[in-house]
Amino acid sequence: MTTTQPLELLAPLSGVLLALDQVPDPVFASRMIGDGLCIDPTSQTLCAPLAGVISSLQDSGHAVSVTDDNGVQVLMHIGLDTVNLAGQGFTRLVQEGQRVEAGQPLIEFDADYVALTARSLLTLMLVVSGEPFTLLAPDGNCVDVGQPLLRVSPGEATAAVAQEEGEALFSKPLSLPNANGLHARPAAVLAQAAKGFEASIYLHKQTQSANAKSLVAIMALQTAQGDTLQVSAAGNDADAAIKALVALLAEGCGETVAAPAQVIEAVAPVSSAALLRGVCASPGSAFGQVVQVAEPELNIIENGTGETAERDALTRGLLAATEALQTLQAKAAGSAQAEIFRAHQELLEDPTLLEQAHGLLAEGKSAAFAWNSATVATAKLFQGLGNALLAERAADLADVGQRVLKLILGIQDRAWDLPEQAILIAEQLTPSQTASLDTRKVLGFVTVGGGATSHVAILARALGLPAICGVPGQVLALANGKQVLLDADKGELHLEPDLAEIETLQAARDQQVQRRQREVAQAALPATTRDGHHVEVTANVASLQEVEQSLALGGEGVGLLRSEFLYLDRNRAPSPEEQAGTYSAIARALGTERNLVVRTLDVGGDKPLAYVPMESETNPFLGLRGIRLCLERPELLREQFRAILASAGLARLHIMLPMVSLLSELHLARRILEEEALALGLEALPKLGIMIEVPSAALMADVFAPHVDFFSIGTNDLTQYTLAMDRDHPRLASQADSFHPAVLRLIATTVKAAHAHGKWVGVCGALASEALAVPMLIGLGVDELSVSVPLIPTIKATVRELDLADCQIIARQVLGLEEAAHVREALRQYHAATVQTSPVVEH
Amino acid sequence: MFEKLQRAFWKALTPDLIAETVAAPTPSLLSASVLSALGGADNLKSQQRVALTRVRVQLQDAARLDEPALKAAGVPGVMVLGGGVVHLLTGL
Repeated sequence: MTTTQPLELLAPLSGVLLALDQVPDPVFASRMIGDGLCIDPTSQTLCAPLAGVISSLQDSGHAVSVTDDNGVQVLMHIGLDTVNLAGQGFTRLVQEGQRVEAGQPLIEFDADYVALTARSLLTLMLVVSGEPFTLLAPDGNCVDVGQPLLRVSPGEATAAVAQEEGEALFSKPLSLPNANGLHARPAAVLAQAAKGFEASIYLHKQTQSANAKSLVAIMALQTAQGDTLQVSAAGNDADAAIKALVALLAEGCGETVAAPAQVIEAVAPVSSAALLRGVCASPGSAFGQVVQVAEPELNIIENGTGETAERDALTRGLLAATEALQTLQAKAAGSAQAEIFRAHQELLEDPTLLEQAHGLLAEGKSAAFAWNSATVATAKLFQGLGNALLAERAADLADVGQRVLKLILGIQDRAWDLPEQAILIAEQLTPSQTASLDTRKVLGFVTVGGGATSHVAILARALGLPAICGVPGQVLALANGKQVLLDADKGELHLEPDLAEIETLQAARDQQVQRRQREVAQAALPATTRDGHHVEVTANVASLQEVEQSLALGGEGVGLLRSEFLYLDRNRAPSPEEQAGTYSAIARALGTERNLVVRTLDVGGDKPLAYVPMESETNPFLGLRGIRLCLERPELLREQFRAILASAGLARLHIMLPMVSLLSELHLARRILEEEALALGLEALPKLGIMIEVPSAALMADVFAPHVDFFSIGTNDLTQYTLAMDRDHPRLASQADSFHPAVLRLIATTVKAAHAHGKWVGVCGALASEALAVPMLIGLGVDELSVSVPLIPTIKATVRELDLADCQIIARQVLGLEEAAHVREALRQYHAATVQTSPVVEH
Repeated sequence: MFEKLQRAFWKALTPDLIAETVAAPTPSLLSASVLSALGGADNLKSQQRVALTRVRVQLQDAARLDEPALKAAGVPGVMVLGGGVVHLLTGL
């Protein structure tokens, strides 16, 4: 059977040769899979190095092996870690089992795509059947595809171990944990381990089986994550072999695999048949009926009615979508929402999307088909990158794609015809879906995806509706119209609420409404605790209109004017006169007896400024943000100081610097402020303070305190920087909780340092707007709470129900707790105790 | 242009997930003789280290590429792709 004629293997690709030892991948470099060589390719079609049969070809197209009639088996693996591309960039030209000639094209790949997305393009050619070979071309040289490269001496492979006889033992079935199945690397590890046993060992997948000692046979099984596998063995050490290989498979064969599923289940909150649990995204409760939110199927006709007409249709659709998005930005429920729509609008101008769509139009496709194909393809590209966050953002692309598509197809983005008392249930609500809601009919939101800072959560809080996120997927199977009880405070959705539960919650809701009415009616009363301690409750605002609203609701001043509202939408800087005019109008509205705290420009890589070209940063949250950007471009800061100073004397003017982390930043800014004040001939400087939102500033508050007039704590950023958790991260957001004792300790440190120097401390982050946090913040010694405008009456009323002495006790207690959840629980208990006593006091 | 916009958009929403791959053109990435073989610095739209062994460059005018000169300048492998994209195989 063996021929004496030596076999020459042809170069499968053109490129630069590299010794196997140099390949930066231990499994290949150690020759665990087999000996051979490596080519850094300059051609994009992998060709057969020898004639034979395709013995394995991965579904993902990045690896193929050819076996010739004498049993010589050659594996080619394109690139390193390319299994992660899941087939993207690879085109298979042959099929498993097919006979191929030497030099026949096997796989085409997109070298640029692979180079940009995978670790490397280094391509391995390995003689996995083990025959010795000699190299026909020296290392470091260029080779051309088809050139003879290796001379193999067939028939000299180590003889296959004789098949062990005897009854085969079988392992229990197990589920494959590897994300990409047993591809080359884990397969090699498994085969290597199997070779250590005398027994003949097979790996079984349903009706197929493979010799577990053969790498190629294992790969040919085409296993995928979650496949049920069994190991069988026959021979002396069969028992030991099965035990070892099952353990190896369970551990991932050298790959890191996700922790076993049962561990995850243990952590997740328990849901039962009558109760589904999630995370509270917006507090409150509601009894209503299920309304499942699903996008209607759109009927897209592929062929167009003439290129010009279709081109016009697309242009019209894009134009209409741009206008719609602009309108949505203007009336967005919050700045985060506005930003999302702004990003959507930018996507509409994306040249490559347009190019793709126009290309399809030129082929005679309809506008709808062309646009849909272009957006779907790009969204897929993002989903295919194997990154959960990017995949989630692909949802934004899909959203904007649908918007244009509906406009092209003439489908009204109707305000949904919702039934009354709707509790909306969705996998994830897109910004466009929520924007077209008739919110008067909606009582609450329940979503499978998202966290406390997801889009739906932001919207729900802006509307004051209860919402829970992170609910198990089975919620999507609930029938429309089913009566359910949403108790967002506890993060629960009751599927079979009993009458008593509903009545209790209904009563609580009525009480809430009455309470709200009472709070608004008493909004003008000062926020003074029962034992006479006054707390200043001011407003976070971004416009003159909000200032006026805040005054009507009992606001005692402005604790945070987000000055970037003057800048964010502009392509050109607002004129100094316009800026000065706005500040003066706000100051005038407040009058000389109220505080106006103007925060200087707080922008950066995460919220870029259209007219200030900024280099994009790898990590904008740790980049040129806030005061850092202002000091980098001092002319901006100078101009803003001048504009703010124009309102001096009209209100009690305070200037606040964001993102201060170093004392030198404060000194530099103060010098600029003093120069500008001098130039304007002002005698008294306005008060100058800093935001405490970076741990360094909080920890060094005693050093900062002598140089400032006040501190204001930005709890949102302070939390994300302290816990190193992105508050917009879908998986971490629920843990990036400002109630964490670490954050509270930094607040305590700040207050102590400030009071030691006779300076006041405010909190202008979201924590101040949470009624639950108020006793704790007051107990910690915070002097001012700057809250979102609609919550002013609530926070003031909350303060009036408290005793400073009690607050101090609860504050001391929570500082010693272990985690945010414990703090919340302690505060809830305290709250329950005070609410019970408060009606007595009121009468 | 697409890449830039795309990056800006995704970065705005997912700040620290997209590694900044478009490095500011640094002369150190390519030697003077390589640059001149590519048609001079002003023929270079971008340069980027990719896939461990490669420098990916985008040329304004691919016709100004001089492959023999590149090899002479010590670049063992050159891969000319569409749209002015060229991979220079510089090794590990």
